[in-house]
Amino acid sequence: MSDARPVTAPIERNAALAADAPPVLEVRDLHVKVGGQLVLRGISLVVQAGEVHAIMGPNGSGKSTLAHVLTGRPGYEIVSGSALFEGQDLFALAPEQRARAGLFLGFQYPVEIPGVNNAYLLKAALNAARRERGLTELDAFEFLALVRAKMQLMRIDESFLGRGVNEGFSGGERKRNEILQMLVLEPKLALLDETDSGLDIDALKLVASGVNSLRAPSRSIVLVTHYQRLLDYVVPDHVHVLAHGRIVRSGDRTLALELERRGYDWVGGEAVVA
Amino acid sequence: MAVRAQRRAQTGPLERILADFETVAAHLPESIVARAARRRAAEQLRQLGWPSHDEQWRYFSLRALDRLGTFIPAGAVTGSASAAVAPVASQELAQQERAQQELVLQELALPPSLPGFERRVYVDGMQFSGDAMPIQPRALEPSWLPEQRLGFLGDMFAVDAAVLRVSGAAAIELVFVTSARASGTAVYPRLRLELAADSRVTLVERHLGEPPALTLVCATVTAELARGAQLTHYRLQQCGRTTLFCDTLTARLHDEAHYRVRQVAVGASAGRTSARVRLAGAAAVASWHALAVGRAEQVHDCMLKVELAAPRSRSDEVFRGIADERARVAFSGHIHVEPSAPGAEARQSLRGLIEGEGEVDLRPRLEINTDDVSAQHGATTGRLDDALLFYLLSRGIDPPTARALLKWAFLSDVLRHIEIAQLRTEAERSAAGQLQDVLAVGAVG
Repeated sequence: MSDARPVTAPIERNAALAADAPPVLEVRDLHVKVGGQLVLRGISLVVQAGEVHAIMGPNGSGKSTLAHVLTGRPGYEIVSGSALFEGQDLFALAPEQRARAGLFLGFQYPVEIPGVNNAYLLKAALNAARRERGLTELDAFEFLALVRAKMQLMRIDESFLGRGVNEGFSGGERKRNEILQMLVLEPKLALLDETDSGLDIDALKLVASGVNSLRAPSRSIVLVTHYQRLLDYVVPDHVHVLAHGRIVRSGDRTLALELERRGYDWVGGEAVVA
Repeated sequence: MAVRAQRRAQTGPLERILADFETVAAHLPESIVARAARRRAAEQLRQLGWPSHDEQWRYFSLRALDRLGTFIPAGAVTGSASAAVAPVASQELAQQERAQQELVLQELALPPSLPGFERRVYVDGMQFSGDAMPIQPRALEPSWLPEQRLGFLGDMFAVDAAVLRVSGAAAIELVFVTSARASGTAVYPRLRLELAADSRVTLVERHLGEPPALTLVCATVTAELARGAQLTHYRLQQCGRTTLFCDTLTARLHDEAHYRVRQVAVGASAGRTSARVRLAGAAAVASWHALAVGRAEQVHDCMLKVELAAPRSRSDEVFRGIADERARVAFSGHIHVEPSAPGAEARQSLRGLIEGEGEVDLRPRLEINTDDVSAQHGATTGRLDDALLFYLLSRGIDPPTARALLKWAFLSDVLRHIEIAQLRTEAERSAAGQLQDVLAVGAVG
């Protein structure tokens, strides 16, 4: 039996941070509609700096909706509730402002953009974030030195830089590209939406090693996943089960193992959306 | 002047064209188009009539031609267009012309020559620089389709021609400039290409110039590719907004000939390309990649007919058009596979992107008359994809830059096929100048 606890229970603060620092992410009683249908029905979640959270749940439970709403994807109606990012009202920011503030979304299905090369996108994104943080922009040489090191980690060939974004990439290559972007941008909070889906075991290990390399006391990660296998390699501090648009159970990593053994029915995980 | 305006009000363009032709016909050079051929062209145009109610011509601004001062070519007259017409005959006059052209060139600041290319410059339809080629009267002039009928204007009025007869390999750049001297009149750039068997030619054809008043540029191109000849034909239309640009092309390919067209249309207040490519020889290949970017009230209209008439002939059409603000962009792609073309392959990909109140009209048409054929076609028009836009925004890219990047991505299907780096950069700059959210050229992959 896992050590489940309500999400609203106090979460131990990271010792590396000042005691009065706000959480990186604080979601309170969030209700969201999609196409007129209520999909999120009162999500509350607190993520402190340095923590890794896993959000699990059956298909249609609202996991991806949560990630998209937090990063500002159009098409979602926020009915009630709030989301603070380092104490700042997240919903008052445009998607690009959220990204520059340090919020990153790793897409479940990264899109293909032929004609816009990876190097341009990475450099433009990185320099946008650096401007936001009051840092000088990197020139071409500095950028290449930085990105090459990250590419080696993700075992991505340098020819990739000149190719269109995800153009002709396999599913695994697209996911590695997402992680590469995350490594280059070094966000404060990364929301990884089913980054493990469609990966073979070698690719999964590679992606996990990329995620682990980003772990730091000042950085937080939320893994949205269907299966617990990614959590064998990226060990979460907290696991939450989402069902019916609510977090129905929270616990430590043993909760994920329990789910693997007993299935989502155990926590009443029936889909609430198609 | 008042008399001329009154004449415009009382007669349609066709009547004015025929009247202008009668005024100048006796003085037009026999060496460019035989006199009898000019008259035949005038008669054919008269019989076809003016295309004012023709669906194929609904986008091109034919009514704007009512405002044109004269159809008589600038290079065939001196002084006021309403004055008695005098041919460019005397040496003294020719020297004066040349001096004026030099001034024009100095003011124009032409783009740098492409490395490795032989350049020739034509001002107001007449050759100004580069080696002249001997021109022989053509007994057989091109026969234009009804959709190409403004090609007859070129046959009627042309005063000069670029004629390229190539065997072996060649890289040639032709720059057609319309100067202020031609303002309010018409110019008729004329290009004839004859490629010998197995020749390899890269041709760059540019159209430039910004006369102060409405001016018609009526270009005609005919190409004949012998067995195994390969022609890569880059076409950049970068005319100023006072120009009405009408471009008529016909090409005929023999066995195993290969014709690649890379066309970029960004200039003129209204542009119209009417093209016909006939794959007459076995295993001949035509590849036509074109883009058009319009803004404000611009019109870009392209009609392309590809006739696959021989076994194993292949065609590949790609069109990308962006209509911003109130611009209108149209592409009519007609692929005709004839019974004599078993094993033919035809691919067509037409895409339009609408911004603001722009309008894009894509008209694919496949006419297949043999069972043994492989054909694919797709035509889509829409606005920027929200999913792609959100992806870029989620990376911190600001919305104007994200939109510009996606437009680049859209155009890259054509731009990346421009294999001459300097030319591609220039094409990219031209396209960027058409997009409100101008972007660094390096974004194109």
